[in-house]
Amino acid sequence: MIFATKKQIDHIEENTDIVPIGSYWQLVRRKFLSHKLAFFGLIVLTMIVLLVVVGPFFVRVAYDEMDFTALLVPPLSSGHILGTDELGRDVFARLLYGGRISLLVGVCSSLISTGIGLLVGLFSGYFGGIVDRLLMRFVDVMLSIPSFPVLLILTLVFGPGLFNTISVLAIFGWMGVARLVRSVVLSVRENDFIMAARVAGTKKIQILFRHIMPNVIPITIVSATLNLSYAILAESSLSYLGLGIQPPTPSWGNMLQKAMTYILSKGHASQTPWWLIFFPGFMIFLVVLSVNFLGDGLRDALDPRFVSES
Amino acid sequence: MISYFFRRVGELIPVFFLISMIIFFILNAMPGDPLLYSRVENPRVIVQDPERIAKLREYYHLDDPLIVRYFFWLKSLFKGDLGYSSMYKLPVLKLIKSRLPNTLMLTVTAWLIGLIVAFPIGIYSAVKKYSFLDYFFTVLAFIGISLPTFWFALMAIIVFSVFLGWFPAAGVQTYGISGSWNIFVDKLKHLALPSLVLGLVQVAYWVRYIRTSLLEVLDQDYIRTAYSKGAPDKRVILRHALRNAMIPIITIIALDIPYFFGGALIVETIFSWPGMGRLMYEAVLASDYNLAINCLMFITIVTLLSNLLADFLYVLVDPRIRLGSKAV
Repeated sequence: MIFATKKQIDHIEENTDIVPIGSYWQLVRRKFLSHKLAFFGLIVLTMIVLLVVVGPFFVRVAYDEMDFTALLVPPLSSGHILGTDELGRDVFARLLYGGRISLLVGVCSSLISTGIGLLVGLFSGYFGGIVDRLLMRFVDVMLSIPSFPVLLILTLVFGPGLFNTISVLAIFGWMGVARLVRSVVLSVRENDFIMAARVAGTKKIQILFRHIMPNVIPITIVSATLNLSYAILAESSLSYLGLGIQPPTPSWGNMLQKAMTYILSKGHASQTPWWLIFFPGFMIFLVVLSVNFLGDGLRDALDPRFVSES
Repeated sequence: MISYFFRRVGELIPVFFLISMIIFFILNAMPGDPLLYSRVENPRVIVQDPERIAKLREYYHLDDPLIVRYFFWLKSLFKGDLGYSSMYKLPVLKLIKSRLPNTLMLTVTAWLIGLIVAFPIGIYSAVKKYSFLDYFFTVLAFIGISLPTFWFALMAIIVFSVFLGWFPAAGVQTYGISGSWNIFVDKLKHLALPSLVLGLVQVAYWVRYIRTSLLEVLDQDYIRTAYSKGAPDKRVILRHALRNAMIPIITIIALDIPYFFGGALIVETIFSWPGMGRLMYEAVLASDYNLAINCLMFITIVTLLSNLLADFLYVLVDPRIRLGSKAV
């Protein structure tokens, strides 16, 4: 069996109850890499992250450097690969810096909201009773508040800006994770090894974090990717509406803020500066698409059925 | 069924109070005072009568504790008194009444477009699963889910109204057009882009739901029985499978109604569509406290009602649940 091809292994995994070969994480890696779309997502995402993190060191123009001799220059012209905006700022440089901000907001807020969701789900599922009922009732209430309009108002209350945008997105992103984690905890805590730990006199907190939490991690990773794509989309929408990241700091969302004025003010179609609208939005789309592919691949790869078998 | 109805509505009441309380408290933390522009310290104010301002503060209960103000607010809400908008200088109820038809026209059209596109694709994907087109639609659905709504809308404007010039980019209708047929065509042209954008964004989600729930049903024994009886494919899929697959689909579609209002906020803003979403966005930008709170309450009530609707529809279309509740 050492030399079995991937196809053979897949066949065995699909048609028998035999516990597959290798450790859980080896299986996850093999299954993930065989998922074409997820692999594509991983590569695109890695490239964008590298470009955004390392790129600005190689671009000579600063993102806020204005050049009034080159206003609204179209793409592929001298010195400006992606053209310039209405103040003569280089679109490519702004795209790279804006990417840093957008990805930072997305990653931070999704990590925080996933963390909150994980804790709420763990406590709610493990302790049950009144704690569970109160927490889940609260989750229900939070879920029935229309999130985007409230996000709009919250950013206005807290004031726009980097830190506040992250917090507001985190406050409204944890409920889904909490529900999922709770449902897994409910089934895991009925296992014999939990009973064994309890009989051995292990403390409740220790059982929760040492024995139950590792089983919840796979599903948490999957929901973290879903949260990431939601956070990036929500940040860009808020910034587009002028309530997220504030100019002159660029983010992929606020780079489109003036888009409508360009569209409506220009008389002739050929004069529309489409590049100011196309590129930032396309980057958001590409990142969210890659994250969604990645999440789909991870969901297949981290299938909880393996957890109970291994 | 009736006892279920009352129980479900009964559960909704505390949720409604809790949400309205949360919204009221959040909005009271908003910058700007309802009487900001009539304050004595405000140099631009015309009437600088401290006595009058004190009277107004008392009339609006502005100096009472927050929780007391919440109940006063709730009382006037139930009486149908939504107060005035400070931005428009008009009653809020009148504003909402004038904007609501536009939003309904937009969301209902988008909803119908979504259904008409999603059902054939979802059914095809499930019946011909793992075919080339199924993969194609799967990737397309991923693309749809990942599109930022505002970017999709802007690109649609650039392509279809700037470059091709097929549809207008903004507004509800052109002024100065005569003849009822011409007005109708003109309105339809204005409606086309925003409703297509709003509807197609939702298609991506629905196609996945329809495909998954239909696949689950197609795997059942009674479908195999129907096939082995010699029933034609069309009859098996539409009569036997789809009917049963509809149960979860209907729930999801009802639950998605509030998303249309959220999406409408962005689409209405971009297309200068005078609806509820844009009204709320304007209110938030102008710190029009009273208008914003009422718009948000309205959208929340729609959300709660559509959750309720989803629950009822689920019970209504699934005969197994009805039998169950009779037995209890």
